[in-house]
This record gives sequence, structure tokens and C-alpha cells, in this order.
Amino acid sequence: MTPTSRHRRALLRLLGAAALAAAALAASPAFAQPIVVRDDRGTEHRFASPPQRIVTMLPSLTETAWVLGVGSRLVGVDRFSDWPAEVAALPHLGGLEDAQIEAIAALRPDLILASTSSRAMERLEVLGFTVVRLKSESHADVQRTVKLVARVLGTPERGALLWQRIENQIDAAAARVPPDLRGRSVYFEIGGGPYAAGTASFVGETLARLGMKNIVPAALGPFPKLNPEFVVRARPDIIMGLRREQAALAARPGWDSLAAVREQRLCGFETTPYEMLTRPGPRMGEAAALLADCLARLGTAGHR
Amino acid sequence: MTGTLQAHALRVRLGRRDVLDGVSLQVGTGWTALVGPNGAGKSTLLRALAGLQPLAAGRVSLGGLGLPRPVERARRLAWLAQQGEATGELTVRETVELGRIAQLGLLGTPGPADRRAVDDAMALTACDAWQDRRLHELSGGERQRVLLARVLATAAPLLLLDEPTTHLDAPHQVALARLFRRLAHEPAQPRAVLTVLHDLPIALQADRLLVLERGRLRADGAPADPAVQAELVRVFEGAIRIDNGAAGAPRVALALDSPPAP
Amino acid sequence: MSAASPAAAVPDADADANARRRRRLVGWMALVLVAGIAAGLATGAAGFSPRAFWADLHAADAALILGQIRAPRTLGAALVGALLGLSGAISQGLFRNPLADPYLLGSAAGAGLGVVLVLAAASLGGAYISLATVVWIERLGVVAAAFVGALTGVAMTLSLSRGAVHTLRLLLAGVVTGVLLGAVSDLITVASPDALRGKQAFMLGSTSFLGWDALALMAAGLAVLALLVQRYARALDALTLGEDSAASLGLDLGRVRLVLVLALSLGTALAVSQSGPVAFVGLVAPHLVRRNAPGLHGWLLLASAGMGAALLLVADVLSRALIAPQELPVGVVTAVLGGGYLFWLLRQRTAP
Repeated sequence: MTPTSRHRRALLRLLGAAALAAAALAASPAFAQPIVVRDDRGTEHRFASPPQRIVTMLPSLTETAWVLGVGSRLVGVDRFSDWPAEVAALPHLGGLEDAQIEAIAALRPDLILASTSSRAMERLEVLGFTVVRLKSESHADVQRTVKLVARVLGTPERGALLWQRIENQIDAAAARVPPDLRGRSVYFEIGGGPYAAGTASFVGETLARLGMKNIVPAALGPFPKLNPEFVVRARPDIIMGLRREQAALAARPGWDSLAAVREQRLCGFETTPYEMLTRPGPRMGEAAALLADCLARLGTAGHR
Repeated sequence: MTGTLQAHALRVRLGRRDVLDGVSLQVGTGWTALVGPNGAGKSTLLRALAGLQPLAAGRVSLGGLGLPRPVERARRLAWLAQQGEATGELTVRETVELGRIAQLGLLGTPGPADRRAVDDAMALTACDAWQDRRLHELSGGERQRVLLARVLATAAPLLLLDEPTTHLDAPHQVALARLFRRLAHEPAQPRAVLTVLHDLPIALQADRLLVLERGRLRADGAPADPAVQAELVRVFEGAIRIDNGAAGAPRVALALDSPPAP
Repeated sequence: MSAASPAAAVPDADADANARRRRRLVGWMALVLVAGIAAGLATGAAGFSPRAFWADLHAADAALILGQIRAPRTLGAALVGALLGLSGAISQGLFRNPLADPYLLGSAAGAGLGVVLVLAAASLGGAYISLATVVWIERLGVVAAAFVGALTGVAMTLSLSRGAVHTLRLLLAGVVTGVLLGAVSDLITVASPDALRGKQAFMLGSTSFLGWDALALMAAGLAVLALLVQRYARALDALTLGEDSAASLGLDLGRVRLVLVLALSLGTALAVSQSGPVAFVGLVAPHLVRRNAPGLHGWLLLASAGMGAALLLVADVLSRALIAPQELPVGVVTAVLGGGYLFWLLRQRTAP
């Protein structure tokens, strides 16, 4: 063998050993990369390892954490979280505005998931806790939230999977909408207002994916408080909302002129499914299915 | 040093009415009584002299110069309100001590001279027995004496008193009248005491009478002066009768039996 | 009035009684303060429980739970109460009205508006206000916004009434300002319903978020204000004679009113920005002092601060203990207690 080929073989062996060593190092958990995320407030958070004690202060974030498989790591939720049934056993820590600081601190969480700014969250940050703030108002927000939470929890691939599943569910639901109902206008009422879910809201986006039109244009914002006159004039083909409030629709002045009311083209939901419909979280796919079921029912019931 | 208090052509307008219309006068040492029918403008005139009333025209001067700034003014003249607006929670002594603000200001520390002034003022008005009672525990007349003591405690040489005798019973009215006379003629420190009075019998005891009617000064002179008396009877529409009795001051009585003047 | 002799040595029964009442009141307030602080430290997520307190004391996170959360909020409640009591005493003396409270000049409405702006900034951004403004507002934070808002409310009142020249005009301007700012605040909550929840939580009052830095700020503010208003205590005494009588004593009423309005606004703004506009403390504290141990303002102002501290401390402990682990907003407790007290008082007076 020539001296150069001997050198070359030694070099190759050296490189091979180095490559093996590098691979071994990369796989070793001791050198795992720290998790770095930037939340919706712009704050950067670093986690050396995935958090093990999680507090969620919003029902949609509770559900997201659960669906991503880390329900066992939840140590506390907010007062409005009610799905799944298992969270009833967890300590309920108040709402965003009146969170029980002491109770939260006593749980020693290493991650607190919350939404928009609130005084309570600021206080918790001052006390040294990690608060990741996530906005969830549109489908894009939910997608981003789901993926970010999955990354924080150390299982980034589950985030993509979850979002894919939601998308598939919405597509499947869209396929179930009767063709002659497509393009019809919908008025989705949010209780106590009445507020409407407009095109710009996540509910509106779901309805759009199902092929329905919304009487509330995007320009009015996600959840405007409408003049009832606007609704009557817009003559929605279908009215959706809480079942118990739909019973009184005919009593509203002028509303019995609406074909949707007279012909009972209504989608009234009980409280629990209604809450699922109005949470921008991992169950948006099932929510879409619920809406499609109602539309399918209306389709087969026969109408003009 | 009193300095003469002078008013030049005072005009005060409240709403659309001229409450005071061109009043000019001069107040020196001695006891002057300001009388007149209801609505004549007596209280307004007193407030104007004290510098508490905005003037539409005219001016008030003290010792030849304009009214000094409030801090200096408070040392030279003291004013007693017609209706006691005092909330009444302070004790008698604490109320009278407030008069010393005129000399001490907000932050001055009271000394023995201040304590003496307060004691003297309370003695002059005979309220020293109830020093530590609260104002609202006293009767109307007792409260009035305390508020007068507050004014006396300021040690100001010029006293403007708006109806200081209203709620008092006869013995106390007499005592006050004697007090005014004494203060006005005290040899060491004669004061100028100007009192608005409804009580004509007391008013006629004063050294000088000012008769005010509908914002104008109708008479200015000694109570014994017949011109002054005639004007007095006129402004009261003949409802009173003045008797220049034997000795002593003229006496006034209500003319119940004689017909009212035209 | 024949006796012209100087005041004879009359028995000072009344003077002694007054001094005795003051001492007794101070004693009671000190007792309530000490007991209240102890109870506050022992009231946590498990309600009032000395046993739980003992356990917490030995727990690993005692420094956090007790030291960083419970201690500052308990002491903070006392300081907020002191600020409100002092401001209430100033406003009752200034307006010569035993029903005056420190929120009369628009500070509560202004603070509420500040808070609503911060809470609604995110949703108003882009549509109504520029995004740069949104970032700035959010960085300001709720506390600073409430403080600035409270002072702005008072500034608006002062400008409406053209200074502090006439008391009646000042009061009317305060009412107008309160209504106007409240209306703007409501408008914003219509555009941004999320802010409504936050605003309601703020307006009901809470000591949950008081930390040591807030305490230091309030303590410093209280000290400065107390020293300042003591210099004007005699002016407030003179005002009890009536405004014109006070003026005739040489007081510059315009300046006195301005200084006192500023002092009471600062005290109120400090308290409200930290804990929200807690009801009734500023009204009832000076009232209770005057009923039990009246006196000159030199005593009244400081005693009202002490009484306010005691009252709010008790209310705060109750708000934490009654429905533990949940909390009542402390303003609800003070409203019930304060309103109840005034109701009882009224019945006493009108009873035959």
C-alpha cells in the first residue's frame, strides 16, 4: 500500500469513529437541547427539560394538554375547565382575573399556561413562576398553540399529529353537509347579549370550512354585539345557539317574521356541547362534526 | 393701631339686584350699630367690609391703604358670621383657640400669650365653665357666645359682628351690650366694634347708628340725633316709636296702638 | 357675665373624658391591627387555620407562601386601608360633609378607565389604536395605568371646576367626571367584552396581588402624605367654622383646598391602583373615629388612617376565610359591613 492510501484509510477510520461518537452523543439525553419557545406575548421561555407540574388557566389549554397526553402532569386547572371528567378531581384555582395566587404557588408548578394579560399572571411571574401566554382566537391561533404546547411538553410530533387530526375531522364534517344547504347563511348566537359569532371568529372559520355563509361579515370583528334589527334584516337561513335560548326566539319582536324561526330551521345545543363549540381548542374537530350533524338533520327534515 | 376702615361707593350685585348701591362710610373706634329692615343689605355690607364679598364697584380701605392680604388682614379685623355654620364637633376651648390662627397662622406654636388670650376671651363671654364640652351639646345662645369668644380671641382691634345677640336671653344681651361698650372705650386698647343688630333697644345703646335701607345708607349719627331717629322710624314704616326719655339713652318701643305712617 | 376672673380651676372631667376616649380608641385599633395581622398570616387556601399555618411555617416553601404572598398582602391590606382612611378624613373635612368619600373627585372612575384600556388594548389594537400604542400600554401594566387614570380623573375635575376655588363646583365637577369617564369605560368594554371581566374584578377590589414592592411604595406614600396634611390640620379645623369664617382668619382657602385635593388624590390613587376602589373604608373610618373619639384634625387624620387600616385588615381576612379556598372580593365584604353599619346608624337616629 502506498503511504497516501494508508493515511487515507486512517483518516477514514478516524472520521468513522468521530461520526459514531457524535451520533452517540446526539442520542444521549444528557445532551438534549433545551426547549426554547416564544409565547404570544413575545417572551422567550427556556426549559431544560419538559415541565412536569402544569397549571392551566383556560379550559381550551386544559383540553390541549390533556389531548397531548400529559394529563397526568396537570396539578391544577381554572374554575371553568370541565373536560374531560377527570379534571374535576384537580384543584380549581379561580379564573384569569381572580386566580388564587397562594393556592397556585403551593402547587409548585413549573409551567403555567394562560391566555391574555391579567394582573394575576403578572404577579405569578414576579414571584418567579413560568407563565406561557397563548392567544386562542382563530384556527391559526389554535394551530400555533397546539404545536407550541406540544414542543414545550417535549413531544413536538404530537402537536403536528393533533392538528392534522383536527383538520381531518373538519374535512370529514364538511363532507357530511348536505349539498343543498351549502352556501346558506348562518347566524350563530353567543348567549347573553346577544353576541354573534362572526366570520372573523374561530366558530365562523369552522362554519366557513363547512361551506356555510355567515350573516356577520369579518369587518364587524369576531364577537360583535349586534342590533337585533341587523339579524332580522339579514334573514339568516339557519340560526344556531343554546337550545334554552332558542325557545324564546319567536317571542323577540319581529323575529317571527324570519323563515328560520317559523320553519324551525334551528340548531339548538345543550350547555355541554355548546361549551365545546365555543372553545378554540383541540376539540374543534368534534365541534365541526356536531355542527355537521345538525346541518345534516336539517337537510333531511326537508324544507323549501 | 386700629386704622380707620373706610368704604368708598360700594356696589354689590347679586343676580339682578343691587344689594348695596353706593355705600360710603367710615368706621373708627367706638361702638357702631348697623340697623335696617330685612333685606336692607346689612350682612352684605359687613362681609364687604371684611373683604369677603366681591364688589361690583367701589373699594374698601384700611388706614388709608387698600385692604391688606388675608394673613395681615386677619390680624387687624375679625368677622363673626350671622348664622353659625360651625359643625360643632370641637370643644368650646378648641373652637375659641381657632381664633388664634389669625396671629399664629397654620404652623405657629401656641405660647402663654395665646393661652391667655383664649382664657380672657372665654371669661369675657362667660363660657369658661364649659371649656371641654362640645359645641353641639350647647344651646343656640351658648354656642353664639362661644363663637363670639372665638372672634375676641383673635385680638384684632376691629370687630365686625353680624347679629351677635340673636339667640341670647335678656340678661346676656345686656351683658354683651356692656361688653361692646367696654371694648370700644378701653383706655389701653380702644376697639372699633361694628355690630349688625336687629335688636333696636340694644342698637340705641351704641355710640353711633348707621341706618341702611335697600342698599343705601340713610342715616349716620348718634342715636340721640333727631334726624337719625326720624330716619329710623321712617325706614321701619312707623312701626316703632322712639322716646327720648329723661336720663340715659333713647328708648324704643313697638307702636302697636298708633296707626302706621303713610 | 359679671365674673371677669380668669378661668377658675374647674374640674377637668370633660377634658379627661376626651383624652380617655382617644386612648381607648388607640388601644382598640392597636389590638385589632395586631390580631388582624396574625389572623391574616394564618389564613390561606385552607381558610383561617392556625394548624395549617403551623404546618405552612415548617414547609419547604414557607418563604414563598408566607413570606412572598401572605405577609405582603396582609400588611398591604392595612396600608391600603390607612391610605383610604386618611384620604376619607381629608375629604370629609374639606367638603364639610360627613358622607364625603375619597372617590368623589373622579379618582375611582379614572382608575377603572385606565385598567380597561390596558385590558382592552390587545383587542383594540389595529382597529382603533395603533399597535405601537398597544405595546406601550401593555408594558405600562394595570397598576401604573390605574394610578395615572386616577390622577387624570382628578385633573379633569379640577379643570372642569377651574381650580379648587368653590367647593360646590368641585363636587359637581367630580360627579360629572365620574359619569363621563365611566361612560367611556363602558364604551370600551362594548368593543372588547374581555375587558369587562377584568374591569369588574378590578372594581370589586382585591389584595391578592400585593407584593413587597407595592408595600414599600404605599408606606412611603403614606408617610409623605401624613406629614404633609398634618401641616394643614389647623386649616381643616378652621373650616369647621364655615368657609367664610375660615377665610376671615387669614387662610388662603384656594391654596389650602388645592393642596388638600392633591393630597387626597395621591393617597386615593396609590391605594386604588394597588387594590382597586374598595368601597366604604374611606367613608366609615373617619366616621367611626369621630363618633367614638372626636377631636381636632391633628388627631382625626392619623386616627382615621389607623382605623382604615384596622377595618380593611379585618375585611381582608374575612374575604379570604369565609368561602376558602375561594375568595370574596374584599370590596364586597367592605360594602356589606359598611353599608350595614350605616343602615344601623340611620335606624338608631330615626328611632323614636
